[in-house]
Order: sequence, then C-alpha cells, then structure tokens
Amino acid sequence: MFINPEVPLESLPGADNLDWLPLHPRFVRRLQLGALLRVLVIGAIATVAYFLMKGGDSAALGRFADSLLPFALAGFGLFAASILIWPMIAVPRRGYVVREKDILYKTGVLWRSVKAVPFNRVQHTKIDSGLLDRRFGLANLSVFPAGAGGHKIRGLGTDTAERLRVYVSERIEAEAIEPEDDQNSPLPDPQAEASAAHENGPPADAG
Amino acid sequence: MRPSIDSGQWRRISPFAVVFFVGKTIRNLVRGYVQLAATFGALAVLIRATPYAAFLIPLALLLVIAVAVLRYWFFRFRIEEDRIRIRQGILEKTLVELPFDRIQGINVERRPVDRLLGLVTVSLDTAGSETTEGELPCVKGDLAEELQTRIGAGLRGPPGKQPEGAQGAARGVPAGVGDTADERAIGDRSPRKILLRLSTGDMFRIGLGRDNILLAMMLIAAAWRQPRELPYRLAETFGFSEDFVRPALETAEATLARTDALGETTFTGGIMLTALAVVLALGVGTAFLRYFGFVLWREGTAYRTRGGLLTQKEVVVETAKIQQLTLSQDLLLRWFQRFRLRVHPAVDSDASAHHDVPRVLEVPLLEAPLARELRTSVFGEERDGPILFPKSDQFRRVSPHYIQAHALRLGVVPAVAGALFLIPVTGLTKVWASVAGIWCAVWIVCGGLTALQRWRRLGYVYGRDGMASRGGFVGRRVDAFLYRKVQSVTLKRSPIERRNGLATLQVELASDTVTVPYIDHGVAWRLRDYILYTVESSRRRWH
Repeated sequence: MFINPEVPLESLPGADNLDWLPLHPRFVRRLQLGALLRVLVIGAIATVAYFLMKGGDSAALGRFADSLLPFALAGFGLFAASILIWPMIAVPRRGYVVREKDILYKTGVLWRSVKAVPFNRVQHTKIDSGLLDRRFGLANLSVFPAGAGGHKIRGLGTDTAERLRVYVSERIEAEAIEPEDDQNSPLPDPQAEASAAHENGPPADAG
Repeated sequence: MRPSIDSGQWRRISPFAVVFFVGKTIRNLVRGYVQLAATFGALAVLIRATPYAAFLIPLALLLVIAVAVLRYWFFRFRIEEDRIRIRQGILEKTLVELPFDRIQGINVERRPVDRLLGLVTVSLDTAGSETTEGELPCVKGDLAEELQTRIGAGLRGPPGKQPEGAQGAARGVPAGVGDTADERAIGDRSPRKILLRLSTGDMFRIGLGRDNILLAMMLIAAAWRQPRELPYRLAETFGFSEDFVRPALETAEATLARTDALGETTFTGGIMLTALAVVLALGVGTAFLRYFGFVLWREGTAYRTRGGLLTQKEVVVETAKIQQLTLSQDLLLRWFQRFRLRVHPAVDSDASAHHDVPRVLEVPLLEAPLARELRTSVFGEERDGPILFPKSDQFRRVSPHYIQAHALRLGVVPAVAGALFLIPVTGLTKVWASVAGIWCAVWIVCGGLTALQRWRRLGYVYGRDGMASRGGFVGRRVDAFLYRKVQSVTLKRSPIERRNGLATLQVELASDTVTVPYIDHGVAWRLRDYILYTVESSRRRWH
C-alpha cells in the first residue's frame, strides 16, 4: 500500500510551497573566502605578467602593457566584486527539502531549477568536504541515482550532512524494491491505485 | 544445465586472447596521442644518435607480447549458479563479481581473426554503482550463447515463482507470445523470431539517409570559393603532388580552359561531383562496415541484433531492462519512409568514458509497422503516453515563447557581441554602422529561422503510463519512456519562462536525459509530481 502522508499531492500547489531548509549560514563566508583566494591568485599572476611585459627588452610591449592597464584593472575589479558578492545573492536562493519518499534541491538566481530524486532510485550516497569546507565545519552531500541525474548539495553543516546521509540510507533500505516482496504479494491493479491516490491522473490539459 | 556451463571451476579463456591483449595494449597506447608522439620522437632521436637503438623496437614489441601472454595466463573466469566471477591482473589482481540480475545487456563482438577461429568477445554491461565492466575476450561462441540464456533466465527468476498475467504483461511481453516464450525459456533454448533482415540495398539507404551526409554536402558547396584549387591542396597534403596528380590535373585543366568558360564550369562541376561521390561513398562504406548482414530477432524476452562486415557485433537487451526508446527520422529517411530506432538499456553515468560507442541496441533502418510492433512489445500494457511516431497528432506544441528565447540566444546575442567587437577594428564610423548593420541582420534572421524550425519540431505528449518528447532540426526524433523508469526529475525556469508562466521539464533516466522546454508551468509541475508519485509508489523493478 502506498502511503506518503507528508505529501498530499492535490493540496500541493507547487514546489514554492514547500518548507525549504536553508544551507548552513557559514557557507556564504566559505564561498567568499574561496572566491577571495581565486582573486588573489589571478591578481598575482596578472601582476607578474604586467611586470614581465614592462621589464622586457621591447619598449613597444611595455607601452602596450601600459595602455592595457586601465582596462585590465577595471575588468579585474568588476570580476572580483562580482564573485565576492555572488554568494550572498545565490546561497539564500538554494535550499533542500527532505520528504518521506524523495529529496528535493533548488538552485539558481535567474535560471532556477528544482530537482527531485526519489529514494527508491538512489544507488549510493557520498559525503565529501574539502580543505576550506572543513575549515568552516561544512560538508557536501551527494546522492546518486543510476544515470546522469543526482544531487550535490553543497554547504551543509557537518552534523547535518551526516544525519541526512544516515536518513537517506535508511530511506533507501526502506524503499528498496525486493523481488520476493514483489512476487509474494499480488500487485494491486496499478490503474485503480493510481486513480485512488491521485484523482486526476496526469495533468488534464495545457489550458 | 549443461556441464560445460555449470562446472563452477576457474577457467581460462582461449590462448588466442594474447592477440586480443596485444591489440588492446596498442590501442590504449594510440589513444594517448601525446604519449605516442613523444615515444616515437624520442625513438627517432635515439636511432639517429646510435643505430643500435633500433633494437628497441622489437624489444618493445616483445615486451608488449610478454605482457599480453601474462595477462592471458592470469585471466580466469568462473560461472556460478547466479553470477559470474572474473579474476585478472598481473601485479594488481582484481576480482569482479557480476550477479546475473545486475547485468543490463550483453554485447558480443566477433573480430575478423576471432571469426576464423569461432571465438567471440563478450562484454557484460552493468548499471549504476558497479563501475567495473566484465569483459571476456576470446571465448568459444557457444559459451556466449549459454551465458546469454543464463542471464535471460536469471532475469526472469526461477521457474514457477513467476506471477502470471498482469506481471508478465507488465514486463513488457505481449500477452500470449510472452507466456509461451517464458515457458519455453525454462528449457534449453528459447524460441527465436526473426524480426528484420537488412539487404544490401538497405545499406545504401542507411549510408545516404543520414543528415550529416546532407550537411557535409552543403558544407562542400558553401565553403568552396575556389574549387579549382582544392585538388591541388589535397594532393599536396597527401604528398603525391609531384608524382603524377599535378601534371594530370594541369593537363585536364588546360585542355578544358583552352576551350571556353563552359569548359571551366565543367571542370569545377567535375571536382564538386567527385567530392560528393567521395562523401557518399564514405557514408555507404561506413554503413556496410557497421550493418552488413544486419539481423534483428527476438529470443525469449530479449531482443538481439547482429551485424557488421569485418567485426561482427552482437547486442542483447532484455525487454524488462529497456529504459527508453528513441525513434528518429532524418530528412532522406523520411523520403524512403523508414525510421531509425535506438533501444536504450541503463548505462553507467561514465559509460561514455569507458566505451567508444554507447551500448545501445540500434536498428538503423526499419519501417513503421515493425516500429509499432516493437513499441507494443516493449511498453506492453503501459502504452498510454509513450508515443513513438513523430507525426502523431497527439503531440502538443510547446509555447511559441521558445522562439523568442531561442532567437535571442542564437541571433541577437552574437549579433550584438559581433557589432561591439567591430568597434576597435573600424571605429565608430559609417563603415562600422553599415558592416554592423549587415552583420546584425544576417545573424538575427538566421537565429530567428533556426529557432522557428526548432520550435516546429518540438513537441511532447503524456499519458497515464509514460510520455514522449519530440525534437530535431532537419530530421525528427522522439524519445519515449515510462514514468516508472525515471531516476530523477528537474523543473527549470529561465527568466523568460517565469515571466510567461512557463517551465522546462527535465527527466533523467538511467539511459539519457529527456528535456521538454517551454511548457505551461502548471502542467510541468503537476507532471513532475505525477512522475514522482508513479516512481515512489512503484514496487516494480526498474531494471
């Protein structure tokens, strides 16, 4: 028998109505630090390149470097500002929901997407955390179904990630399709079941 | 079962596998082009320095052969009741264990050498977490047969426990045919039913019918400002210009040019026709190599194909493991009134990295009735929704806002970017304005037309059990699947989609990702919820 009490499908006007859980508050700082490091590295390389061009034998190359300098500075400033500010815009718009039968993850500022992975399709899960993540006490949870889909939820607290992983693993066990079960209990008529739990079936019409 | 299969002992493959391993090592070497170039470069330098270094070549060959012999020596496999184990490795030993019910498809390859000796190479495809694939090089042909029977039987489960009726139909076997097939499969050999044989004439149809041939022909026509120079350039590239091609060409050209303008046109036309013939011959030749003697047949609950001129390939897919059907019709195939069908089993997410070709059962040329029959047999009772034929009037169009968005991306963005790029080159002058104007007009018109054509091809259809998505540019292509085979669902919304109450539905299957852009948001999310509901309430195996 199919029970999914948390999700009465008909009462669900859309994914917007779910209680999205935010990522860890420190995640913004972690992304900003990562961006800062990237900015510093690129800046250092650019500075070295500038002085190499200036200090070289060719005077023309030096003049070229000087003429390029304002554009390069402006471009670099813009780039640095945008990647430092971006996490503050993007992270609050990410979020996840764990339901009884599936896990949802939303991302995107302009191009938004909401992906749902049912637990009975998950093949395995993975937690990883890089150097910076560990510094901030963060971890990433990946959920892999077969094929190309799957989540990578970045920026969870370490305990949250571990608790989630355990929960997802339990759900996978619970939802696993057992052939014995499949064969012993006669299948209810899929048609009748579908119409009982989901009255309209698939959406009626585009209009 | 036969003693040959049930011995349960560690066994060796044929000694001819040495040839296979040598070939494999060389192929692996060739794949790393940089590595190969470096090796040959170093070798050339060495040989120039000391002539004795030339001995390195046979030495290296000997080493490769020695490694191959060792690999053969340590390669063992063992077939057990419900699984196969493969043990291999010289220094680093690996043991792969493949339960039969995990195997998604069996592929049998007969290389020319193998065919002389009656040997085959069997590769076993698994899905998902098991990344190591099983490959049995150079085993006896009948062993492959037995293995296929075994895997088919393992999938259907032990006899007797099988629920009848609805379950059998649910597995995609049409009533009647499937039942008898199941019963007989318990015995030694399941019944075969040949569904399709391709003739030599079909090879020409396949070779000529591909859209890429059409595109190549258009490219030849378009990119060709000075056709007369091409043969010379080709001759130079391939290095036979001095010998005889150049004089011959020059004589031909001179004789023709001496007469009049008509002669020159003839010469140009001749070159164009030759190039065309080469392109067509390449297409037909490839078709012959890949599909010569192509046969599609059903055996028990599995579909099998075999074909190929030199290397014969055999693909087996169990009906219950099929994730998706893709029917496509390129422009010329439409004229021939034929289709191309691809049957996707589940594949590893990184399968493309492992294999050269995705392991898909492909029927390169078939007519509508057979496609219809295959669809009925694959989807069985669950036939409401997954429509296969692109011309079906059940397909709904996506929103025309798609044209706007696509034209913006394909036309306006490159047009504006190109116009801005022109400023440093020409400055803000009259010349700039006229050039930029022409540039923008061309891009916007092209982008708009492309978007319009793509939109005309787009379509989707859904029902109680599954859905289908249509797309294409020159030709058409339809991806059809059942909801219960879905792995995950994504709902995407771009700014334009949000403004117009639209959304993109993206469905990830174990075989591929199917995208339906620019449909009504309400329909998209309800479809999403319905797919999730179907997946989450389904107690059936998806593979």
